[in-house]
Amino acid sequence: MVTKEKLGKALFVLGAIICIISAISIFVFLIIKSAPAFIKIGVLDLVFGDNWSPSVSDNYNNALKGSYGIFTMIIGTIVSTLGALTIGGVLGYFTSIFLVFYCPKKLKPIAIMIINLLAGIPSVVYGFFGISFLLPFLSKIAPNNGSGLLATSIILGIMILPTIISLSRVALESVPRQYYEGSVAIGANHTSTVFKIMVPSARGGILASLVLGTGRALGEAMAVVMVAGNFPTYPNGLFGSFRTLTANIVLEMGYAGEVQEGALIATGVILLMLVTTINIIFNKISIGTVKAIATTQNSNKIKTKTESILRKINFSKIGEIASKIAGITVAIILFMIVSFIFVKGLPTIINHPWFIFGKFQFGSEEITILPSLICTVLVAVISLIIATPIGIMTAIYLNEYAKKEGRLATIVRGAINILAGVPSIVYGLFGMITFVKIFGGTSSILSGALTISIILLPTIVRSTEESLKRVLDSLRQGSLALGAGKLRTILKVIIPSALPGILSAVILSIGRVVSESAPLLYTMGSVIKQIPSSVFDSGATLSVALYQLSGEGWYINEAYATAVVLIILVFALNLIAELTVKGLSKRLKGDTNEGKSKK
Amino acid sequence: MKENQKNDTIIAQSISVRDASLWYGDFQALKNISIEIPEKKITAFIGPSGCGKSTLLKCFNRMNDLVEGCKVTGNFLIGDIDIYGKVDVNELRKNVGMVFQKPNPFPMSVYDNIAYGPRTFGIHKRKELDIIVEKSLRQAAMWEELKDRLNKSALGLSGGQQQRLCIARALAVKPKILLMDEPTSALDPISTGKIEELCEELKESTTIVIVTHNMQQATRISDYTGFFLMGELLEYAETDEIFTSPKDEKTEKYITGRFG
Ligand SMILES: Nc1ncnc2c1ncn2[C@@H]1O[C@H](COP(=O)(O)OP(=O)(O)O)[C@@H](O)[C@H]1O
Ligand SMILES: [Mg+2]
Repeated sequence: MVTKEKLGKALFVLGAIICIISAISIFVFLIIKSAPAFIKIGVLDLVFGDNWSPSVSDNYNNALKGSYGIFTMIIGTIVSTLGALTIGGVLGYFTSIFLVFYCPKKLKPIAIMIINLLAGIPSVVYGFFGISFLLPFLSKIAPNNGSGLLATSIILGIMILPTIISLSRVALESVPRQYYEGSVAIGANHTSTVFKIMVPSARGGILASLVLGTGRALGEAMAVVMVAGNFPTYPNGLFGSFRTLTANIVLEMGYAGEVQEGALIATGVILLMLVTTINIIFNKISIGTVKAIATTQNSNKIKTKTESILRKINFSKIGEIASKIAGITVAIILFMIVSFIFVKGLPTIINHPWFIFGKFQFGSEEITILPSLICTVLVAVISLIIATPIGIMTAIYLNEYAKKEGRLATIVRGAINILAGVPSIVYGLFGMITFVKIFGGTSSILSGALTISIILLPTIVRSTEESLKRVLDSLRQGSLALGAGKLRTILKVIIPSALPGILSAVILSIGRVVSESAPLLYTMGSVIKQIPSSVFDSGATLSVALYQLSGEGWYINEAYATAVVLIILVFALNLIAELTVKGLSKRLKGDTNEGKSKK
Repeated sequence: MKENQKNDTIIAQSISVRDASLWYGDFQALKNISIEIPEKKITAFIGPSGCGKSTLLKCFNRMNDLVEGCKVTGNFLIGDIDIYGKVDVNELRKNVGMVFQKPNPFPMSVYDNIAYGPRTFGIHKRKELDIIVEKSLRQAAMWEELKDRLNKSALGLSGGQQQRLCIARALAVKPKILLMDEPTSALDPISTGKIEELCEELKESTTIVIVTHNMQQATRISDYTGFFLMGELLEYAETDEIFTSPKDEKTEKYITGRFG
């Protein structure tokens, strides 16, 4: 018995240790692989040089022919992120206020569901919408095809909307109702209560949502590549072509020379440092939220003159109007994206059903996405087979064994936070310099799946831990009181009760696999080839296929159709996840009720 | 509210309720209540939990408007103005202040908490606000305690201080009537004593209606007492009378602690 218990615990600890190793190895491998480039090029020249013109023949033994300065891209990344924050931040801020305080009751659950779904739409689909709708639209007023800073900021802004709205909404909803009542009881109306009491009380959470949105925008790769123009220059005006750090990796990693590859990995390191800084700020803010509410600004210091001028403007009223406009704008944007793609893509699917299931012939005119579908399924299955047990084991360790403030637990949590914050293109780099190298240097489904499985880990750990936390302590004690050991209690009582949450995490992870593209580009391959014959073949998942099709220009109808398939898949997975949770929780409750009535 | 729509302004300080009933959805929480609450007196509402004391109190400043599915019939008059009629509800709430069971200071400084009401009603001059803040805090007997920490967060105060701050906050807009819903139930005896003293002083200028679970408190501070049971007002009279010679047998049982 005792050995079994020990074995169980060892297994759970093992899961946790794998998480730690994954987090550490990402940093270690990237640093080792980029160090020669940093040394050869010079840290300052690399980071602050503003000329990027690599030479494929450069290697570490000879004098450099090319230049490897990424400063234009650091600036490009920061500026486009700020642009995204201006658009997505402002819209998201007011939309969340609209949702919580002005949205009609009946509409709210639907709106929330749609926003959750949008969070799941693959970034290539957003990028594709950028190419096919936004750029042609902007080109009417632009000196070029519409690409550049403005287009990038808009697309990134839309992409970070769901994050900002969901988190801000939660922050606003958790402001105590007493504050609202207290203000109304003094005679303040709804709108001034909202803007003078409720919103300021939630500012910590709202700020956190903006920071998290910033992290997303910094790390986004594929959508940016599709609309930014990508010249390695400083962003010059709204339609100036520029390149981000992420785009640099996506664009050149495929055919890089020796030094170039090192410099691209160095690009990843710099990106990782930027994102990690933002994430540290995010964690500080999330923890500090409570404190931020308690400490207040000293209002004495505001100068009374400007104050009295500002008083004349009714900010609350303006806020109310802005919230309503934002709510409607976001609804229109979201409707436009989905309907545009469906209108363009559905006819292809209806008129040529073989597009999805037809026999595939490489290089023929009539392409089908059957190979991509099969690749997607393979990657999903393999990555989940790897990530699910490790994730669940880690969560069990954290919730059932670790001491709350224990050292190992703190490290594990830190590792999970780090993994959750690493941009997916950096995972791609990591997969390339580890798994791809291990399996002989060519990309393969297996390498892709392994890379993705690390990406899935944090989500699975976190949601499993959440559902474990919700298992009542009385159940635990009930089982222990019957003399069941800890391991038995976990396996027979706790995991079954947490099952709905775990399952929904798994289903949502499938959604993640479907939508990821940046990490797969160079680990798994990007060409729709034949139906894979083994996991060592290379191939493109649906998202990667969409990137490929939309780039080539003459498969535009097929690209629309692929985007439709992607959106339907992601929506369906979201729905299934929700229904699973509901259905299973009901079943669990139903069972106990039956048990009672039998007595 | 449209500017030209003429609203009745509240000047009186007495409340009369005529044949009022209230439903939360299908559940009738108040049944044909009629009561006259005199001005500048303390009136206490007592009765077992769930009998509708808070509900009636919240009719006086229409906080029940916030509850979905809440329906009110009958008349609620302040002076001779029907508060469910042509009244601006925010104006009503300015005149009829409320102190809640659980202290609910806003997450702002002490100063900003008190200045919140006056600012809401258009007072922004620093000097005027300074005066109001000091006066309100003095009224709530907290000026000495708090004058050096006006810019500190109100959430850092003790529970008793928070509740008195909420009273001061309510006083800052010069209400004519003050509603208090079990204002001391979460407080220690010393803080409770301070708030009771405060009520006695406020009575000179303000009508107070207080819900309390504490019989001693009702006898100590109130002039009139109403006893509620299951949504009905069973008995209403001068406090001395209710506690010395209750007419209803159920009232007697309740005040002697034999039920509720
Ligand atoms: N918002 C509400 N919705 C539905 N029922 C309510 C609501 N508030 C109070 N009630 C019900 O109305 C009755 C009276 O409540 P309340 O006035 O709070 O009682 P008291 O303050 O005397 O304890 C109770 O039965 C309570 O459950
Ligand atoms: Mg009550």
